[in-house]
Amino acid sequence: MWVANGLSQDLPSGVVMAGNWQGAELAIWRSVSGRLAAWGDRCPHRGMRLSHGFVRGETLSCIYHGWTYGSDGACSKIPAHPTMVPPAAIKAEVYQCVEADGVIWVGPAGPEADLPDLSGMVAVRSVSVLGDVAALTRALPGFVADGALWRGQVGGVSVSLVVQARGAGLGLHALCGAAAHRVAVSRWLDGVVQLVEQEALT
Amino acid sequence: MIPAAVLNEWYPVAMIAQLAAWPGRQTLLLGSEINVFRDAAGAVVVQGADGPLAVTLAYGHVWACPGVPAHPLFPIPEADQPGRRLVDCGVVRVKCSPLRAVENFLDIAHFPFVHTDVLGAEPHTEVGRYEVQIREDSDEVWATKVHFYQPQAAKSAAGGIVTEYMYRVAAPTASVLYKTCPNNADEWDVIAIFVQPLTEELCEVWPWMALFDDTTPQADLIQFQQMIFLQDRSILENQIPRLLPLDPGKEIPTQADLTSIAYRRWLKRKGLTYGAQMVAA
Repeated sequence: MWVANGLSQDLPSGVVMAGNWQGAELAIWRSVSGRLAAWGDRCPHRGMRLSHGFVRGETLSCIYHGWTYGSDGACSKIPAHPTMVPPAAIKAEVYQCVEADGVIWVGPAGPEADLPDLSGMVAVRSVSVLGDVAALTRALPGFVADGALWRGQVGGVSVSLVVQARGAGLGLHALCGAAAHRVAVSRWLDGVVQLVEQEALT
Repeated sequence: MIPAAVLNEWYPVAMIAQLAAWPGRQTLLLGSEINVFRDAAGAVVVQGADGPLAVTLAYGHVWACPGVPAHPLFPIPEADQPGRRLVDCGVVRVKCSPLRAVENFLDIAHFPFVHTDVLGAEPHTEVGRYEVQIREDSDEVWATKVHFYQPQAAKSAAGGIVTEYMYRVAAPTASVLYKTCPNNADEWDVIAIFVQPLTEELCEVWPWMALFDDTTPQADLIQFQQMIFLQDRSILENQIPRLLPLDPGKEIPTQADLTSIAYRRWLKRKGLTYGAQMVAA
């Protein structure tokens, strides 16, 4: 199953962020040349979160001891032993990570189902909201949910929300049918957050 | 159920300079509530739910044993050496296993990345061979002949030097290091961490120093040490799992980690498993 982990525009080159897949914590990063990768959020050395690490060129390094991993997840450098070739067994836990129509998707390693079709949509923004799917349902009458993808109309513009479970809350990744409406949809999204959080309290 | 081996060890529970009358310092030791205070006669008492605990006063701190002490508190002979300045550095609370806090203290390979431009700097990242032993006479873990390039090894250091270290695990949650003294080539600076295990996943770290440094103001020495420990905390609170894995397989060590390997082995052999993860999850 693919899980949306944000919008492409929110993960620039050379940046790493935290993400998740079905309860597993992830480090998602983009190399300087633009390559995306998603790994389990633990360095195999001492269990440090790789999402606290740093990107240099086409590699991600752990912030604790600088162990460096290439896009395939294999450790390529151990700074404490600069001349040693790291054993192949030292490898980050690799997930599939792709982006389409401005959304970053993560899935387990191996073959996967097709991505939800968001062609023709433009990314608006992502928000976090403290509330559950029930509260979201009450806050979005008229929206139809197909898995994590919610579709509806806002002021005559088609809107898609890709929903991601995030701890006690949800991540909402919003897209709309026309670039000219991004500001209006972004304002509407602020209202949705307020509504969901009110609903979650009742 | 906490193993007797754990209960029969000494743990730091307060700074002597901060003691007060009842209720004094209300805190946790191995998950149980204790009060550390001075009674009407001025004696230091560590009161647990089932009565007072064995107490030792040493190195600026109050040490308590919740069980029957298996041995006296470890010695630090340098604490009595003339000319040394003894510095209590206060306390840093860290959401991690007390054992992870000690292991991090034993580690030099992280200096260039966590204490950048202070205790280490790229490209000086190599950790050469050093010697590690579990000394049977004192029942302590020792690492010797550890060398590392440091841009600013101490508050009193003017520039980069290759620092030599010796590390010593003197108790399950206490470690002492000896490092090149920037002001006195014949002596070692002594820096210790005394870790109070509040629970298996929460600790308070009391750094303590015995230095040859007559010039640096006390506040600067403490601030330097606090800065180092706050940098370490950003690591310690983000290791997964919080507990220290003692079974091999879950974490991959290298030659630079020989001290950590010996520390884990020593803990396992002695049954000092409070704060440890025994089964690979």
